[in-house]
Amino acid sequence: MSTTAVPTEDRVLGFRKEHVQRYSTLVVLIVMFVVFALTVDRFLTPQNLLNIAQQISMLTIVGCGLTFGFAAREMDLSVGFTVGCAGILVPLLLVAGTPLPLALLAGLGAGVVIGAVNAGLVTLVGIPSLIATLATGSVIFGINFLMTGGRAVYGGLPPAYLWLGQGRVAGIPVLAFFMLAAVLVAWFVMERTVFGRYVYAVGGNQKAAELSGVQVRRYKSAALVVCSVFAVLAGALLAARLGSGQPNAGERYLLDGLATVFIGMTMLRPGTATVLGTFFGALFIGIINNGLNLVGMDTYVQSIVKGLIILAAVAVVSRSTKLQLL
Amino acid sequence: MDVRLSGITQQFPGTRALSDVTVTFHSYEVHGLIGENGAGKSTLVSVLGGSLQPTAGTVEIGDAPVALASPRDALVRGIAHVSQEGSLVPALTGAENILLGDEPRVAGGVIRRGALRQRAAALVARWFPKVAIDLDRPVGELPMADQKIIEIVRALRGDVSLVILDEPTATLPAREKEQLWDIIRSLPAQGVGVVLISHFLSEIKALSDRITVLRDGRLICTEDAARLDEGALVDMMLRRTGGDTSVRAKAQARAPGPVALAVRDWRVGGVRVPEFTLRAGEIVGLIGLTGSGHFGFARSLYNGSGVTCAAFEVAGQPTFPGPPRTMQQAGIALVPDHRMENALIGDWDLRENLGLVHPEHAATGGVLSRRREEAESSRVMRLLNVKAHSSGQLLRTLSGGNKQKISIGKWLYGAEGRYRVMIFIEPTEGVDIGAKAEIYAEMRRLAETGAAILIASSDLLEIETVAHRAVPFVSLAPGADISRDRFSEATFIAAISGAAA
Repeated sequence: MSTTAVPTEDRVLGFRKEHVQRYSTLVVLIVMFVVFALTVDRFLTPQNLLNIAQQISMLTIVGCGLTFGFAAREMDLSVGFTVGCAGILVPLLLVAGTPLPLALLAGLGAGVVIGAVNAGLVTLVGIPSLIATLATGSVIFGINFLMTGGRAVYGGLPPAYLWLGQGRVAGIPVLAFFMLAAVLVAWFVMERTVFGRYVYAVGGNQKAAELSGVQVRRYKSAALVVCSVFAVLAGALLAARLGSGQPNAGERYLLDGLATVFIGMTMLRPGTATVLGTFFGALFIGIINNGLNLVGMDTYVQSIVKGLIILAAVAVVSRSTKLQLL
Repeated sequence: MDVRLSGITQQFPGTRALSDVTVTFHSYEVHGLIGENGAGKSTLVSVLGGSLQPTAGTVEIGDAPVALASPRDALVRGIAHVSQEGSLVPALTGAENILLGDEPRVAGGVIRRGALRQRAAALVARWFPKVAIDLDRPVGELPMADQKIIEIVRALRGDVSLVILDEPTATLPAREKEQLWDIIRSLPAQGVGVVLISHFLSEIKALSDRITVLRDGRLICTEDAARLDEGALVDMMLRRTGGDTSVRAKAQARAPGPVALAVRDWRVGGVRVPEFTLRAGEIVGLIGLTGSGHFGFARSLYNGSGVTCAAFEVAGQPTFPGPPRTMQQAGIALVPDHRMENALIGDWDLRENLGLVHPEHAATGGVLSRRREEAESSRVMRLLNVKAHSSGQLLRTLSGGNKQKISIGKWLYGAEGRYRVMIFIEPTEGVDIGAKAEIYAEMRRLAETGAAILIASSDLLEIETVAHRAVPFVSLAPGADISRDRFSEATFIAAISGAAA
């Protein structure tokens, strides 16, 4: 029937255009991996691959949270400071003698509160999330420094806590298990539940979702809360990994986290944030960082390279879809 | 000047949109182009307007073969295309829009405002001396017809001898259509031919000198309009012969069922409805001129924020008007107008779109079952005869009629018989004739199963075809009911213009 046929079968170099759009970033990732494997001496060793897994685990967790926000078309710019907040709060409580489960629970509570404040500003007050979370981020940053006086929190952290960030099970970093669990849970919720379907509906066409009876505010709020909760999980793990609570350790997770989502948006369902896409995005960044480190490239140069990659990813997304965030 | 398309074939991967179409357009005629969605109308005018290069065939202007490489190329050769969606900048004035990209300037790029205003006014006066448009207001604030006229004037600002008008009246309320019709009729006398695409057969018939019918990418005929009646046109578009050629299968009068919806003293944004009742099994049409309140009333029955009322009952249950979710739980459904903005998600597949209202139907404890989703969406797609290769096809790739079927299907997915009041707003906007008939049949089926159907439409023929009763709105309030036996275009127009006492 001519009424249903669509010219999506345009071919690029013999591949279906649709497939090229979906998988080209993945191909770039694989090529990059192979190039590093062939040219950098210590890259393709089990030890280094596990290192990469460990290095990207917190980033992936933050990215999974941001994916919920992006799916509902809301951005969370406070995410880096939220990571930092949990990364101070949990060690502070532990140093003060709070039992580990209670300290972790408090970290989780902080995430829920931050997420709820963000959500309230966005859905009740009506401030665009880009602006609201920029402001709350600044507030959290200030609180982080007030809590610590700008100094690191260390000494007397229980071994069980440090094990979360530094331990290994069967040679595999505990952090990697947290990452895999986060990805699995996030993927399942987004792809296989009514909740995830509604979050995507709200981001896909808010008006249509509303007129279909979806409670838009509720799902936008939930997405922002989930985002903060993933961020505090990453923060608690980050301090365990570092062995201390650093007031500004979380900051880089904002830019890198956004980058993982943007890179993810170039693949699988182009223009849409997906959990698997974000995971590949984190791998992308992890492999670049690791490879460039091994060849001894300066961290400032790495920063430039990363910025260019983000630009390239956003350029691809913007060309294939209308990227609207505000 | 004549523009001749010969043997035009347009091959897309996997589908042939046009096969060997030959047709000549003259600058002294209005040439109607009709066919169902997907028949090739848009492809043909895209070739004519330079935005598509045909796989085979030639374009000749005068007697010289030309290659139209781009819309700009076509424009230089005198062919302008006014697209369906509109291309005005809402915040700019009429004058600024007419001369957009060709503003009179002084050195340094500063626009000469006086000269711009004058030149735009001169263009309007030259082409349409009888038209009075406020050229100093942002076009976003102007009536739709005025906006369309501004677009046409912009298209005519160069040396144009053929203008393509794609569904020019689709977005216009009935009253404003007349004005545009006069405009279209006046063009050939001024040496500009018109290629007119429209879903309204009566419009094509009334305006065209000749009509070309396309079906499945092939030319069916090009004939003098005077020699074709609407029945024959429908036959040619749908490949039907003999029998009942009319889309209008008269609705039978039937005994009305119990009251499905009743409101008293319903007030929303200036609209006031003292009393309104819908009965199960009934199809009721709301008609009115733009701004008369019938659309606002219909919408407020589903999105009740801002409503005050003395009484509101759905299926005998007293209810408070509330947001969509509340109304939905009371058993009211809305199939809105502008489906791509209000009802559907273009980047989702059909299965996901169908499950938008009741995803929980295919879920256990909040976890979706792919198999049950698939089964239910297939059922709905079969029921509504959605033409698609699978439920995994992306929604945006469907034709208008099939999209509308999905918009209706959302309320049947996991909810057969659940919605006792179904409100349709402009249910067949941008829908081809074949799908129109199917949508009307679905409305009748739903009514027969006991739903009350409310249609707010600016297509009077639609109400005449499908409704049992019509309620005309005049100045934000309903007038006296019109029963089916009194249906006629004349009665409707008299009623909505306030003439019938």
